[in-house]
Amino acid sequence: MRVLIATVQVPFVRGGAEILAEGLRDAIQGVGHEAEIVAIPYKGYPPERILDQLLACRLLDLTESAGNPVDLLLGLKFPAYLIPHPNKVLWIVHQHRAAYELWDHPLGDFMHYPNGPHVRDAIRQAEERLIAEARAVFTISANVAHRLKQYCGIEAEPLYHPPRYAEQFYCATADDYFFFPSRLSPLKRQTLVLEALALTRHPVHVRFAGVPEHPTYAEAFRASVRRLGLDDRVSWLGYLTEEEKRYHYAHALGVIFPPHDEDYGYVTLEAMLASKPVITCTDSGGPLEFVRAGETGLTTEPTPQAIAAALDALWESRNWARRMGESGRAYYLSLRISWESAVQRLLG
Amino acid sequence: MRLNWFSPLPPARTGIADYTARVLPTLRGRADLVVWTDQKAWDPKLEDVAEVRRYDLERMPWMELNRGDMSIYHMGNDPAFHGTLWQVSRHHPGIVVLHDLCLQGLFAGLYREHWHDRDGYIDTMERFYGGLARQDAEAFWDGRLTIAYLNAHYPLTALAVENALGVLVHWRDGVQEVTQDTPCPVVYAPLPYPASPRRPQGDAAAACLQAEGPPYRIIMFGHIHVNRRLDAILRTLAGLPEKDRFRLHIYGRLWDEGHVRHQIHALGLDEVVTVHGFVPEDELEAALAAAHLAVNLRYPTMGEASVSQLQLFEHALPTLVTQVGWYAGLPANAVAFVRPDHEIEDIRGHLRAFLADPTRYAAMGECGRCLLEAEHRPEGYVQALVDLVSEAERWRSYAAVRETYRRVSGELQTWMMSRSPLRPMQVFGEDIWGYSPLPVAPRRVKRLDRQHVPTFRAIQEATLHQADRMRHESDVTLQAIRQVVGDAFRR
Repeated sequence: MRVLIATVQVPFVRGGAEILAEGLRDAIQGVGHEAEIVAIPYKGYPPERILDQLLACRLLDLTESAGNPVDLLLGLKFPAYLIPHPNKVLWIVHQHRAAYELWDHPLGDFMHYPNGPHVRDAIRQAEERLIAEARAVFTISANVAHRLKQYCGIEAEPLYHPPRYAEQFYCATADDYFFFPSRLSPLKRQTLVLEALALTRHPVHVRFAGVPEHPTYAEAFRASVRRLGLDDRVSWLGYLTEEEKRYHYAHALGVIFPPHDEDYGYVTLEAMLASKPVITCTDSGGPLEFVRAGETGLTTEPTPQAIAAALDALWESRNWARRMGESGRAYYLSLRISWESAVQRLLG
Repeated sequence: MRLNWFSPLPPARTGIADYTARVLPTLRGRADLVVWTDQKAWDPKLEDVAEVRRYDLERMPWMELNRGDMSIYHMGNDPAFHGTLWQVSRHHPGIVVLHDLCLQGLFAGLYREHWHDRDGYIDTMERFYGGLARQDAEAFWDGRLTIAYLNAHYPLTALAVENALGVLVHWRDGVQEVTQDTPCPVVYAPLPYPASPRRPQGDAAAACLQAEGPPYRIIMFGHIHVNRRLDAILRTLAGLPEKDRFRLHIYGRLWDEGHVRHQIHALGLDEVVTVHGFVPEDELEAALAAAHLAVNLRYPTMGEASVSQLQLFEHALPTLVTQVGWYAGLPANAVAFVRPDHEIEDIRGHLRAFLADPTRYAAMGECGRCLLEAEHRPEGYVQALVDLVSEAERWRSYAAVRETYRRVSGELQTWMMSRSPLRPMQVFGEDIWGYSPLPVAPRRVKRLDRQHVPTFRAIQEATLHQADRMRHESDVTLQAIRQVVGDAFRR
């Protein structure tokens, strides 16, 4: 079978979606099929450009390549998942969030444009009609499936997949730090953690890792560290190799991951694979599908005070933290998340 | 429901500001209102019914606007009151309320007086009306054609509603006219006017009229421009043997008070006509209450509904109106029509008929009052507006997609340049450049049948248009010659 994986790529930006596409391609090839990624260049602003790109995707013909049929199109990201194909399966990473749950949210950008509501409605209308073209609709998490149902009335089946190099995560003796690996972005809420650190009773230390989504975010992050007097309690490691990342997971006391309404969240799964407890928030979305409060981690209100209390609790109860980390790994294994099962469902 | 309301506000001297002050108290019961203005000052009473926010086109708070369910833009012909809000509507489409059905004055004023953008104006005219309009726009800009001519032939209303999600008009026939300019929903709702409690009516009013006897008081009020036909009224009165049985009272601003006073004197009407100028509202109300007959002529008209007419209906005043535009749609038993091409004849006829049977005219005034109470209630108007908001919300996505069409068509034009077989086609009711077959060679028409009718109609329209233009040009030339000859003769 010849399978094309349709996604979008914001030039110079790499994140979970790119890792997912590559993992999927490798997994499909691993079971004996031909698979390739078709990544459409994407620029999500100003809003009218999104409709241009939607139209561009609709005008693409991916039914054949060099005279040979493309048997299956797997759509991952908007608007690439709307490329027409007679045998299409969607595995939705997320929709264009500014048109849905981030519409009236400070982190959504559509509200700042005069034509924001108009483009929002056009996207919603297009999706309600065009997603139905697919033979089957999956999402990468229950959270994404819930949004699809809530805003478009479309049912979808959540289908989990493992993080990259899942088998290489390990656990080592905990040092005195929490780990927060994620690209620096307002949606990931690194600043919220800094504000929490300023309130902890213990000298809690957090190692942040990841590249900034925009240079201004890095400046804002450094300014917050200085303003809150946290220079000696915060490390920013920047970009890490996979091996370095696993090392910092392995030696962490726990993982802090409080994003706003995350789609899926590899960080949660990676922490569980490294046998580390996860602190997340009640509005964090995807991580809540895996963190079992008090068993595999802690779930708090998204306030500096609540997060500070959770950090203090694990800081002073290392054994409890270790036990929750072990429970987390056991829970992950019990879910039997694998590429094999994901590919089997997607290829039908 | 939260609505953004863009309109001139009192104390701005425009009927649209007064309309806003009349509608908002009723609309408040159905929606949260944010009134947006670029005026420096407004009547603080407005803040009792709505949040009033000032905006600057250069720094529009789009986020605040986007929190509303719909933005509503009130369009009239004065660039000072409507120029900025029209520009907001271009960026942030919403419902357009047309207070005039001809908006050439707005756009000509904006391009010429405010922006000094000759090319922009001429291109716009060509975009909506074609090559002949381009020539006419050039002629207008260079002073060879008048705005009146352009008003008559190029209303440019389409430019005001081009991006609209819904349109509301105050004139029933306006629906059909505007529907040709936009694919979005167009609805008619009679101009709202909260009528005050009734005064003595019917037989009582007629009896009162009989008892008072002549001279009868005729009233004319408002912003009186040339199109209010004061010249014709004065000439008619001057030629009327029974003129002493009338007293004409003129209230409001005159387009040229010196000229009017000179004419009154020259026609020997000093005893019959009184020019009061602008007076406080209560004084005007008292004058209306004391009047027996009103004159509210307009020719040419921009198609607008008349608030002053509703005010006259409120006072149950029989009124002479020109039989054009919105006025022509009024019931014949509620007003006295004056045909524009038989103006003096009809005015004279009505004045004499009034003298012969004043009670007949008093009954006409009562019909007007009943019409006001039945059709112009603010509650009915607000319901129509709220219904339109619901319908227009569904059009938001089309506004966004229409922009995509424009960009795509622009791109295709760039590829194909001038030798392309592209020509405009109708998409969402507007011309969009798209592919079409190569042009078909013209065929000789051997026999006239139904399929040729549209072609002949088009030829007929073009010919009539050209003839009209030539007639206008001749008039202008003739007038200039008369002026030159007159000057020479006087010398």
